[in-house]
Amino acid sequence: MTTETGGFAGSILYVDLSSGEIQKKPLEKDLARKFVGGLGLCLKLAYDIIVPGTHPLSPQNPIVLGAGPLVGTNLPSCSRVFAVTKLPTSSAIGWCGAGGVNFGYLFKNAGYDHVVITGKADRPVYLKIANDRVEICDAAALWGRDIEEADQFLRESAKSPAGVITIGQAGENRVAFSMAFLDKMATLGRGGFGAVMGAKNLKAIVVSGNQGIRVADRKRYKTLSKPLFKQIREYRYLKEWQELGLVKSFPLVPAETYKYIKKRRIACVSCPIGCKDIVEIQDGALQGLKTGSSSAMNLFTPITYGFSDYREAVKCIATLDRFGLDMFEFFGVMRFARRLCDNGIIAKDRPGTEIVIDSLASMEAWAEKISLRQGLGDILADGFNSMIEEFGDKAREQAPSIIKGIHPYAGPGSALPWDLFGTMELGQLMDPRGPHVGSGGSPTYFARRPLEVFPRHLRRMGVPEEAIQRILPGTDNPEQPEDLKVGSLLKYSHGWFSTLGSMGICARGQINRFYNASLCAELYEAVTGIDTGRADLRRRVDRVWTLYKMANVREGAGPENEAIPDQWIGAAGFKNYVTGKPLTRVDIESMVEDYYAEWGWDRKTGVPTAQVLQKLGLVDI
Amino acid sequence: MPKYEVRADTANCTGCLRCQLACSDLYTKAFNPAAARIRVDVNGVNCTISFTEECTQCGTCADHCFYDALHKKPRENNT
Repeated sequence: MTTETGGFAGSILYVDLSSGEIQKKPLEKDLARKFVGGLGLCLKLAYDIIVPGTHPLSPQNPIVLGAGPLVGTNLPSCSRVFAVTKLPTSSAIGWCGAGGVNFGYLFKNAGYDHVVITGKADRPVYLKIANDRVEICDAAALWGRDIEEADQFLRESAKSPAGVITIGQAGENRVAFSMAFLDKMATLGRGGFGAVMGAKNLKAIVVSGNQGIRVADRKRYKTLSKPLFKQIREYRYLKEWQELGLVKSFPLVPAETYKYIKKRRIACVSCPIGCKDIVEIQDGALQGLKTGSSSAMNLFTPITYGFSDYREAVKCIATLDRFGLDMFEFFGVMRFARRLCDNGIIAKDRPGTEIVIDSLASMEAWAEKISLRQGLGDILADGFNSMIEEFGDKAREQAPSIIKGIHPYAGPGSALPWDLFGTMELGQLMDPRGPHVGSGGSPTYFARRPLEVFPRHLRRMGVPEEAIQRILPGTDNPEQPEDLKVGSLLKYSHGWFSTLGSMGICARGQINRFYNASLCAELYEAVTGIDTGRADLRRRVDRVWTLYKMANVREGAGPENEAIPDQWIGAAGFKNYVTGKPLTRVDIESMVEDYYAEWGWDRKTGVPTAQVLQKLGLVDI
Repeated sequence: MPKYEVRADTANCTGCLRCQLACSDLYTKAFNPAAARIRVDVNGVNCTISFTEECTQCGTCADHCFYDALHKKPRENNT
């Protein structure tokens, strides 16, 4: 890249684990302009090298990892790290995103925007990146060790501030719901990202760097960022967020309990809110247990599955984290297995260890059986679809809602039993990768918000005025809408998520509320030096999401992958966000059509039309 | 004589490194925590905050802290 360009480190690292070849290539400015960076460039680089039909756990499946151009600056909460690969659970080309903690800025400071990892090592290895020195190192001593142990070993051996992405035993053994952990605090991967690393014999990526990130227009950068910092400093809930984190939104335990065990709040680099926690159990049999998490709310999640002692809930998640398991999918699989035992579909004596969902001892035993693929754990480790395949049609009848091989984490019968149907809920169906945790910055993230507040929020997300009228129909006065078209809104939620993710900004509601589409375009231009108006940025992020869709159309994904779960329908199912009335299948199908129509995609097949591809400059795909 | 005295309260530090980013930007015109004159090391529950010999106690780091982990206090004899 040219020297006047800022934000981008300027290079892409290519690592072939099969041959051991390592290459550093310049990031082309035109490519960066076209796909923004971060999430967008990950998708583009992955699209270009994935051969359709590639098996997710084959050496040919690449891992493309990267951080956007704002990562490494001091703009608020700009540290996001993304990875794109073909995910084993859904067989979709999907993104995984993590709060960057330290990894994101150190990766950029090492001189790279992206790393493309292909092939498969002939032995366990880890990738060590220290500025220009890049090595594929032997990981024999690390294989079989958990996240905590591997992270500590690698951090100590780096001898300078380091960012670490590592898998635990679950990833090594290709568990369908294994994740990679980033600096022990953040996660890459519902859908089995950990298994993709494990299949490559890649235990970890360790990065350190000190090259610095420059911005193209320092004067404009300061003009734009100063009011942003002031606005956050003056935000009336700032201290409360800093004190309680996500426990403020999800009070699974009283605030006093959380404060009792809280030892330190951890923030990703540049974040003024900080949502990650280190806690220590202060009393009882587990006194002295210290653990960290991407939020205390995660640590308390087993309470939603029946745990009555918050201390045991914390211990349970600490164990799942050490193995590198996705907690939502783990509990979903265990509940399904328990149901199959209760109904005699799994023989009574087969499990060996009784499956007791609200028992710490039982859940820890099963976390180990699954991660190490012992006994029945070997079948459970392959996830819902494999369980149905193994136990037959009777099991299918007992299965919870499943979308693209994954149990939705929000909705009727799910971990978070939210019943209002907003963009996040529909998004569990429409995102090509399948259900994931994330709202994409849409106002429906919070339940029962009055429609009057929507127009302002939508303008902030960059929704054009004419689209606001489609999304919020009802009266002649757009400020007083009477209805909400969730499907139409989801298009812009995906666009806003693509904006934030491609630039490197955290999408959490507590942070993205301080950004708006115009500011994003101005910041992008000031940081990178690439001409960018608001309309330019919108077109580029539409290009990003459309390419994502096309990558999966190319893999053969169609409407059958977006089948609406039966559990979502009827009296016990989802409710209309505005009226609270139970949704019918036709209601949701209509939202799906609205979503396609808003994109200009084919209303029945959901395939982007030639006209749309032409408009977005994607004719060559 | 430095204009300010910068004090650290490590209990409040989250390791966000906004202080190191601001310091390095001021003195090197690049965001490069490794080049900062303040050093924050958060390792689990432990945290240390120190200053390099080049630090002039200019207070920029404290200005950028959102967590009350750094405070700057004017020196009394600096009038």
